Amino acid sequence: MSAAPCYAGIDVGSATAKAVLFGRDGSMLAHAIIPSGGQLSLSAELVLTKALEKAGLARDAVQTVVATGYGRDTVTWRTKSITEITCHARGAYFLSPHVRSVIDIGGQDSKAISLAQDGSVRKFEMNDKCAAGTGRFLEVMARTLGLSLEDFGPKALIADTPAKISSTCTVFAESEVISLLAQGETVERILAGLCAAITQRVHSLASRVGMAPEVMMTGGVAKNIGVVKRIEQAIGFTLTIPEEPQIIGALGAALYAKDMG
Amino acid sequence: MAIETLESIGLFQAVCADPYKTAHKASENGRPVAGFMCSYSPQELFHAAGYYPVRITARHGGTPRADEIIQAYSCSFARSVLDRALSGEFEFLDLVVFAHTCDTLQNVADLWRSNRPEVPVVIVSGPTLTAGKPAQTYFRQELDRVHGVLESLRGKISYEAIWDSLHLYEQHRAMMRRLYAVRRARPDLMSGQDLYWVVQAAQLMSPEEHLPLLSDLVESLEAENGEAECFQPRVMLAGSVCEDSGFISAIEEAGCTIVDDDLCMGSRSFLLPEAPEGDPMDALTHIYFSRIPCPAFHRPGFDPGQHMLERAREAHADGVILLLTKFCDPWAFDYPQIWNTLEMGGVPTLLLEVEQNVPAPAQLRTRVEAFVEMIQSKDEL
Repeated sequence: MSAAPCYAGIDVGSATAKAVLFGRDGSMLAHAIIPSGGQLSLSAELVLTKALEKAGLARDAVQTVVATGYGRDTVTWRTKSITEITCHARGAYFLSPHVRSVIDIGGQDSKAISLAQDGSVRKFEMNDKCAAGTGRFLEVMARTLGLSLEDFGPKALIADTPAKISSTCTVFAESEVISLLAQGETVERILAGLCAAITQRVHSLASRVGMAPEVMMTGGVAKNIGVVKRIEQAIGFTLTIPEEPQIIGALGAALYAKDMG
Repeated sequence: MAIETLESIGLFQAVCADPYKTAHKASENGRPVAGFMCSYSPQELFHAAGYYPVRITARHGGTPRADEIIQAYSCSFARSVLDRALSGEFEFLDLVVFAHTCDTLQNVADLWRSNRPEVPVVIVSGPTLTAGKPAQTYFRQELDRVHGVLESLRGKISYEAIWDSLHLYEQHRAMMRRLYAVRRARPDLMSGQDLYWVVQAAQLMSPEEHLPLLSDLVESLEAENGEAECFQPRVMLAGSVCEDSGFISAIEEAGCTIVDDDLCMGSRSFLLPEAPEGDPMDALTHIYFSRIPCPAFHRPGFDPGQHMLERAREAHADGVILLLTKFCDPWAFDYPQIWNTLEMGGVPTLLLEVEQNVPAPAQLRTRVEAFVEMIQSKDEL
């Protein structure tokens, strides 16, 4: 076990908890993602432990903890909490200083952020009132169709035209999907329709903020190629997808933790 | 904070905690009570007619009765007010005064009148274009009509009585301006929440009752020595109605110091010139045309964003938070332009969509905190 200090960013989201560790030299040591349980504070503890294990570090090596995400204030042992808006912007800008816009679709909310040239937040919009058109929506739809989330995106790309799904409300869309199946619609076209429905919603959010390249997409839904392709068509820019899009908030938090020393 | 200040804020807070207690008391003492809807209502006129003026406000909770007869896309303020009226919560009013503002409230006035015919509803149909001689002539005639309606209800209302009310309201507005000035300089002396107890109470009490309490408060604040210590971002609020104090405390708890506003109940209700001497009805017309136009009104050459920018600069505000009541079309249409003007002027702006009958949601805090972080430089984080 190394005694070198490290800095932790923890993003306690509605669906998953994420942790990122930075070393003193500015290198990223490890990251971890676990499902958030009912006890958010416990999820934060567990995800940090997992990241520390990966890095081969002991708990007392953690010098500073910045918590973000909707459960940030439940992390009582944090050094500071910073909102997910600021942390996503910081994380995205760190990965690419050319980033001027971020689209984040998480488990239960989505956000669009416009960045200034220096990486600071210029404007943001959040949809946090319900889970319509978010990760949770895709999970429920995948379950209804008997598919894994991994298959969702690639299968959605197979269809030439999407089936028409008019609602992003999880409850209404589920009934629409069932009706479409009953009418003999193909699964591929339904999947493409669901991706189009999500895109419509996030497109209006993004337009209100104003998108400028480079646009980075973060959050779990960025792993769904069907949604990514549709958003690219809608906004007219190619999306940069980080290697692990789910940890960008935690990454930003870890960078702030490192700043604090 | 001085003991006197604390005590006097406690009085205002008590009024807000039981909003219609003062009006009920006036009613029990034999004074007729007039409920009014908006700061464009000519309060001086019905005050001169002997009415105790009280602002009609929304309340928390569902609106099942209103939902029966008004569309779901009407704002929460309109639905809540109508629901209260239909539930008989305003039975103690002897008169209801609407000023024509947006289409939704015009419809609420009509629905109120047809569903609760026992209370007279007066609609003051002022011009939405508040400029030019023909509009002024028209409004003067409208005021004469309303004067006639009030006289039919209450007997002769002399010009002297109208002047007395005009002067009283002027004094009250001047004192509100002093309160805002002292608080801009020393926001540490009282919280924004405390300020809005005073502002709200001004709408729930007759000016002759509110003014002495207000004067005491302002004098005790002005007597404080020392310099302001404020390390949080200074924020100006803007928007339409803002009755729910939950929003104010949520904004403050997220790390903002509220230093000024451009709200219907706030600065727009007292940023008015003195009435010119002479005919009091002309004076009321002058006041109506001098108001800072709310987005339901239009005055050529007036730019709401520019007004907010200037006001924010005068108040040394680091940012503006716009409280947009969901489904309020006039504000929603103006917002993109307002945002652009403030952005060009270097004042960051946050839009918070609110509902008047629902407590401030927890998510609101994340947005305000993110806004605070946006204002503070990255180095400070």
